[in-house]
Amino acid sequence: MLNKIQNLNYLLIFLIILISFIGAAGLYSAAGGSYNPWASRHLIRLVFFIFLAVILALINIKYIYKFAYVFFILSLLLLLSVELIGVFGKGATRWINLFGFSIQPSELIKITIILALARFYHDLKFNEIKRIKNLFFPILILFLPFALVVIQPDLGTALSIAMLGILILFASGIRIWKFVLGFFILILSIPLSLNYLQSYQKDRIFSFLNPEADALGRGYQLIQSKIALGSGGLTGKGFLEGSQAYLQYLPEKQTDFIFTLIGEEFGFIGTMFIILLFLLLISVCFYISIKSNHIFGRILSIGVGSNLFIYVIMNISMVSGLMPVVGIPLPLISYGGSAMLAIIISLGLVLNAELNGNLKKLHNA
Amino acid sequence: MFYTDDKKQYSVLNRRTFLLYLLKVSFFGIVGWRLYDIQIKDSKKYKTLSKNNQIDIEIIYPLRGKIYDINNKVLASNIKVFDVYLIPENTKDISKSLNELNQIIKIDFSDRRKIIELSKKVKKFEKIKVLENINWPQLEKIESNKLNIEGIFISQDYMRIYQFDNTVSHLIGYTNKPNREEVELPFIANMPNLEIGKDGIEKSFNPNLIGKSGQREIEVNSYGRVIREISRQDSQKGNDIQITIDLRIQQYALNLLNEHKAGSAVLMDINNGNILCMASTPSYNPNKIIQKPNKDYWNSILENELSPLTYRCIQGLYAPGSTFKMVVAIAGIVHGIIDTNTKHFCSGKIGLGDRLYHCWKNNGHGLMNVSDAIKESCDVFFYEISKKIGIDKIARVAEDFGLGKIYDVPLANQKKGIIPSRDWKKKKYDESWYPGETLISAIGQGFVLTNPLQLAVMTSIIASNGKNVKPNIIKQNKEIEFEKFEKYQNAIKIIKSSMFKVVNESKGTAYNSRSTSVPFAGKTGTSQVRRITVAERESEDFRKKELEWKKRDHALFVGYMPIENPRYAVSVVIEHGGSGASTAAPIAKEIFQFTKNLEI
Repeated sequence: MLNKIQNLNYLLIFLIILISFIGAAGLYSAAGGSYNPWASRHLIRLVFFIFLAVILALINIKYIYKFAYVFFILSLLLLLSVELIGVFGKGATRWINLFGFSIQPSELIKITIILALARFYHDLKFNEIKRIKNLFFPILILFLPFALVVIQPDLGTALSIAMLGILILFASGIRIWKFVLGFFILILSIPLSLNYLQSYQKDRIFSFLNPEADALGRGYQLIQSKIALGSGGLTGKGFLEGSQAYLQYLPEKQTDFIFTLIGEEFGFIGTMFIILLFLLLISVCFYISIKSNHIFGRILSIGVGSNLFIYVIMNISMVSGLMPVVGIPLPLISYGGSAMLAIIISLGLVLNAELNGNLKKLHNA
Repeated sequence: MFYTDDKKQYSVLNRRTFLLYLLKVSFFGIVGWRLYDIQIKDSKKYKTLSKNNQIDIEIIYPLRGKIYDINNKVLASNIKVFDVYLIPENTKDISKSLNELNQIIKIDFSDRRKIIELSKKVKKFEKIKVLENINWPQLEKIESNKLNIEGIFISQDYMRIYQFDNTVSHLIGYTNKPNREEVELPFIANMPNLEIGKDGIEKSFNPNLIGKSGQREIEVNSYGRVIREISRQDSQKGNDIQITIDLRIQQYALNLLNEHKAGSAVLMDINNGNILCMASTPSYNPNKIIQKPNKDYWNSILENELSPLTYRCIQGLYAPGSTFKMVVAIAGIVHGIIDTNTKHFCSGKIGLGDRLYHCWKNNGHGLMNVSDAIKESCDVFFYEISKKIGIDKIARVAEDFGLGKIYDVPLANQKKGIIPSRDWKKKKYDESWYPGETLISAIGQGFVLTNPLQLAVMTSIIASNGKNVKPNIIKQNKEIEFEKFEKYQNAIKIIKSSMFKVVNESKGTAYNSRSTSVPFAGKTGTSQVRRITVAERESEDFRKKELEWKKRDHALFVGYMPIENPRYAVSVVIEHGGSGASTAAPIAKEIFQFTKNLEI
């Protein structure tokens, strides 16, 4: 046990804490120079979740392997119950109350998808991977949560689940031509499925693809976001000196648009620093993956790294106008418990995978 | 599964991992480059924008499409109006500005207080509407004093106007601000202040009439002045819609109806199903609904017990009375139960079980064949034949002739009515059908309920020798061909000659309304709204007595014109009008004559 604690990857833990502190600083600024209501709770969550992650890292990986599908099914049921509450209860929702905490199951499901896929490819012999029938199960693992999230409707999360799935399937060695084929099937099925949609459903999709048409809402946010980023320049206006955010021009400044606020106050140097920190964090995940001696650990680490990557790229692309605003937070920096919990726990799993990288058998736990 | 030491697998995985890592680094590169663009290259532009000015986006609302009648007469369009707004951040003292404005145009004290309250809640650069739809002299005064009143802003807007007030109000409907649910509709997604159709054609064709919004990206300085327009995308006007109504006939018919308290008239072109007139009285004035303040007018409408909002042509359900007899006769002929020679004796009543069923003529019609029975509207004849036909066969024929149906036309809230059958009663009341109910149904009473449009469609199908005429309200540019019910040919021929006799032979119930200049055929109907007591029936003249309006019978008439190759079918319903012959038939005659004289 003590040995394990000594061997924890402290670089990874340090990166989590550093990025979260930057987040807390941003939240402090977003609240007009106050710990309340966001920064203080962000830091309390950090302490609590890091503690959870370390405990998770010290568990024998065999248990995690053994219960991978169970975790997946449990989180799928949570997601489904959110859906049902939405249908029979107070209208659409993404939240569920669990032991007094409000949790977004759509954040947790991404982690359990990674676990389920990692176990599946661990169990599958390498020469079996190329069989078409062995694609069925992974695609089912991805499709069920994807479909549930689409009907919420949370297109941002649905998109990130799809991307996560593609990256993991790629990493696990599925032949390239299958991706190419899948891509073409997708392209060909778009006009076909459009025929079956009602006209109002089409309108929704098109307004999702073209948010400029909804200029007072999302388009307005985007313009304000770009002004905030751009006016930050190279070095930024200085901590607590950002003007745009204070003038209430920036909606959601503590969640999805926090990066903008940091960009305004710390400039290009600040945004580059954050991007490099994330790149470093993802690199650590990849390093642990390469080092691991079993497929479970490898896929797990790559999956967690890819998940982080998707969050970061989608969020920054969104606030800088590279893609439509779809509502994806910036990991460890945006305010919000569910995403933070999911990210830190998943990194705890990576810590675990590193500690147990040399294990020979997983199944007889 | 044991730990596999498959070298090949690990080398594939290593390669894939490396590729993925490369992908991620390059994506980070793209994002970094984008941030470089915004934060370094274009930084100057954004810095000026953030300093003094802000970018605003203004939605340019589209102009709503017009509605025309069949002769291109404008029924609904838009007029320019001027609204006065206040921009809170442009004035130091809102109440002072309001007081100055009050010198020019009176603003209620309570309204002023509401505006001040509102100004505290909204963003300070958001416009607050102070006055709506001001007139020219007022506009000039405000314009000339504009510099003295801080924060004032005048903007031009459009208001919907209905040229013919209440003439086509039910059909066209009116526009108003969307309610909470309607704001979610996809076609107004980004235009929360857009007025949308709330009823009638205006509602059914919202997506067509509304058009597409445009937008203006503007740079505004800290005083609210627009410095420049960054981009502009004009709105697209909504599509115009042409309906099949002929305003002249509609106006004429409504004038005739207005001599009565409540009623409706529908005129259809049999050849293409076009509805040329669909008038309903009482009606309302949509202009008074959309022009504020409208509270008093609304209340007067809602309190009116004749419910002016009801579109009687499609929402009024009436027992069709004797106008239903054509359907019963056709069912009898088609199923071989009667032919032209079949005769029944009418003594004024028949018994069934322990009940008596009366003919409207107390001392009876004598010996009747089907043609006489329709011409003189003998009830006993239909009691007799309905016993043999049975309700289910009658119901099937009634449905073929368009009764008990909701039509696939863009008329919202059509009422379906009831064509009773054994199944229907079982489902609705969980009771079995009584033979006596067949008799009552055969004269269009009892459970049977129809709306006036259905009666006009039924008449069209008869007049066209059994073409399955479908009503149409939007002008079509293509020829319309309806399929024909071959099985009814023979029966319809007999019925049409009987309907000719109703109007054009003595003893026919509508003989008094015959027209030598514009001959037409038809059938009267008088539908009871209450049960006649035995005592009343025994006092000879119970029908002549002045009854309280509400207790009087509904008067109906359906007909077609001309006799050969009919082109028009009509249905007239006058609520509590007394009898079809005395009240409804004369109106039908006038409508036919007027239509004929238009020579369309």
